[in-house]
Amino acid sequence: MFYRRRVCRFCTDKELVIDYKNPKTLRNFVTERGKIIPKRIYGTCASHQRQVTEAIKRARHLALLPYTGPTQF
Amino acid sequence: MRHYETTFILRPNLGEDQFTEIIERTCGIITGDGGVIIDTDRWGIKRLAYEIKKEVQGYYVCLNYAAPGTTILELERIFRIDDRLLRFLTIKLADSIDADGISREKEGFAAKAEAETEQVEGEATGDKVEAAEKTAEPAPEAAQEDTASKEKPSEETPADE
Repeated sequence: MFYRRRVCRFCTDKELVIDYKNPKTLRNFVTERGKIIPKRIYGTCASHQRQVTEAIKRARHLALLPYTGPTQF
Repeated sequence: MRHYETTFILRPNLGEDQFTEIIERTCGIITGDGGVIIDTDRWGIKRLAYEIKKEVQGYYVCLNYAAPGTTILELERIFRIDDRLLRFLTIKLADSIDADGISREKEGFAAKAEAETEQVEGEATGDKVEAAEKTAEPAPEAAQEDTASKEKPSEETPADE
């Protein structure tokens, strides 16, 4: 049997802060298309997933993350 | 007094003088209302994730300050009028902050700035030291890794099943 270890990344690593000003970490939580990845995939705990979602939406408003798709001009 | 953080994006083709002017004007509004600036952080020109008002790049500025709530109304009214600003985002960090809190926050930012400058300096010298250590003792490390990798799989496989 194959088990996916589903432990919240932010609970195990206290150093990792969720901040809308840091798009590099937030990149891990959106798809290539820029959609927010649901917590059932990464196993992020509910409270951290809420914080991540909030941060991503703030970062999108400031054009640090795309609303849709990869950046193309 | 509340603790706020405002990030805004300016048009990149304004020039350094106008950047400074806009930042000073913003700071003036805050201090004029009895607020205190804790930190101003200029991120500089960054590429935007999508076009805003036909601009591909933007000059990011992040202000951290304590001010009464009414200041935000005034600040955002002026931000909306000014078309040199592409975007702004104000976030409330804390409902109330006192003089102690302000000085503590200031110290925190000062320490962070110091650590960053040290890191930049440290990286230049630190890399050389690490490189020297690696070349000095490659043999014993490699031997240890071999034994470790042999032992590990046999232990882990039953645990997974």
